[in-house]
Amino acid sequence: MIVFEHVGKRYGGRFDALANLDFRVERGEMVFLTGHSGAGKSSLLRLIMRLERPTRGRVLVAGHDIARLHASQVPFYRRQIGVVFQDHQLLLDRSIYHNVALPLEIRGVEPREAARRVRAALGKVGLLHREKALPIELSGGEQQRVGIARAVVNKPSLLLADEPTGNLDPQLSADIMALFEDFNRIGTTVVIASHDLALITRLRHRMLRLRDGRLVADEEAA
Amino acid sequence: MSRDAARLPPRGARSQGPRTGSRLRAWGRHHRAMCLDSARRLFKHPVGSLLTMLAIAIALVLPAALWLTLDSARLLDAELEESATLTVYLAHQVNEAQAGRIDEAIGAHEGVARTRLITAAEGMAEFQQALGLADALGRLDDNPLPASVVVTPLDPTPEAVRELAESLQEMTGVDEVRLDLAWLERLRHLAELGSRVALALGVLFGLGVLLVVGNTIRLAVESRRREIEVVMLIGATHAFVRRPFLYSGAWYGLGGGLLAWGLLGLGSEWLAAPVSALAASYGATFRLPQLGVAGSATLLICSTLLGWLGAWIAVSRHLAEVRPR
Repeated sequence: MIVFEHVGKRYGGRFDALANLDFRVERGEMVFLTGHSGAGKSSLLRLIMRLERPTRGRVLVAGHDIARLHASQVPFYRRQIGVVFQDHQLLLDRSIYHNVALPLEIRGVEPREAARRVRAALGKVGLLHREKALPIELSGGEQQRVGIARAVVNKPSLLLADEPTGNLDPQLSADIMALFEDFNRIGTTVVIASHDLALITRLRHRMLRLRDGRLVADEEAA
Repeated sequence: MSRDAARLPPRGARSQGPRTGSRLRAWGRHHRAMCLDSARRLFKHPVGSLLTMLAIAIALVLPAALWLTLDSARLLDAELEESATLTVYLAHQVNEAQAGRIDEAIGAHEGVARTRLITAAEGMAEFQQALGLADALGRLDDNPLPASVVVTPLDPTPEAVRELAESLQEMTGVDEVRLDLAWLERLRHLAELGSRVALALGVLFGLGVLLVVGNTIRLAVESRRREIEVVMLIGATHAFVRRPFLYSGAWYGLGGGLLAWGLLGLGSEWLAAPVSALAASYGATFRLPQLGVAGSATLLICSTLLGWLGAWIAVSRHLAEVRPR
């Protein structure tokens, strides 16, 4: 699903955010990306989302070198990836329902079909009863679950998450991770960046460890 | 490369890409939604929206008013052209009978609509009347005035009249052909100057409208920057992001156009009385020009297009800067 070939990313001509990354993630895998803040986890995810291009090497997603996508194709590429952000990136002036419906609106999904899918996604994260609420009326954990619902409403085959449990207490964090495991179980490839080692070692999935932009360990699921 | 080039492999019962028909419907649906949404946003800040539209209206009123004035000047010009005549002076030795024949010959000339013969005696009588010199001229033994023929040409354009004059000059018994076109040409030059000034002003003020709309839309984009970043993160195309702003721009343009239309109406109402009084003092009737249906439609379409274009420029400039974090 994802192949990194000698990938490097350099900012401002001097600072190497990522250096010589070589790994692959198979279809249907669930992988944790870990390391201290500044180790390059976010940069790596940004490369997969095609928010940035590598300065060297190639990033292949589903067999395509995504650096070679034309700018006009990038939106269509991104629609196939579900992304959960640490700060959840919800639109504060729209209801939960409309936040989750946003990717479908962008794709031009017919409203009745969209309603069905939004309710399914909200039901999955247990927030169906809050669909009319505004994001600000929800707790941090609930907001993050809305972010997850929005990421999966399109049924993406690849789900990325950047510190999805960043500001949550351990119990909520475990709940969130369990949700990701559910999606992985139905075949979605999941890549999660997290520095919460205590939590992710317990979950027993493959773990990629980054330090100063280098891959220092690739531990298979125990 | 097609848009599907980077499609990830389908998973399970994943739906295939929408067909063209439903894609078109989705596109239409989004247009409708954005059209209404952008109108709603204008009504949310009525004072600000009104001020923007007023600025657009003021920028549109001046060139539109000038254009209207020129249009009426052109009408006036056409009327004056119709009254353009030539005076053909016959030679002194031509007697009255000969004058009648020459008049008929001129009347038969192609390009001549009407002729009126003024015999030497009639000419003298007119002259005496006009100048009140009956006594002085009465003492002359001989009538020094020649007979003349006043010719109304069929084609009143200066070029045609000049050509007609040249060919009449060739006729026997004709001494001189006079045409007084200088004032007509002067008027035409003035009209030409005026229309160029109107065009220049129109272009300048059109740019002004673009700037007004552009600036307003720039602020709107800035205030919705986060939203734009988020939708771009989840795969919105530039066209999708641009759409609501284009509609806002078009609404501003249309609103400005309507206000300008109202201002023009008020203005001509306000000027009507003094203008007709002025015209009456010259013994003429002159109505202030009205925009009419075609003119109104042109004004509104132009203002709407300008608003749309201003928004397009502003959003496109801005989209290049907005990069999802």
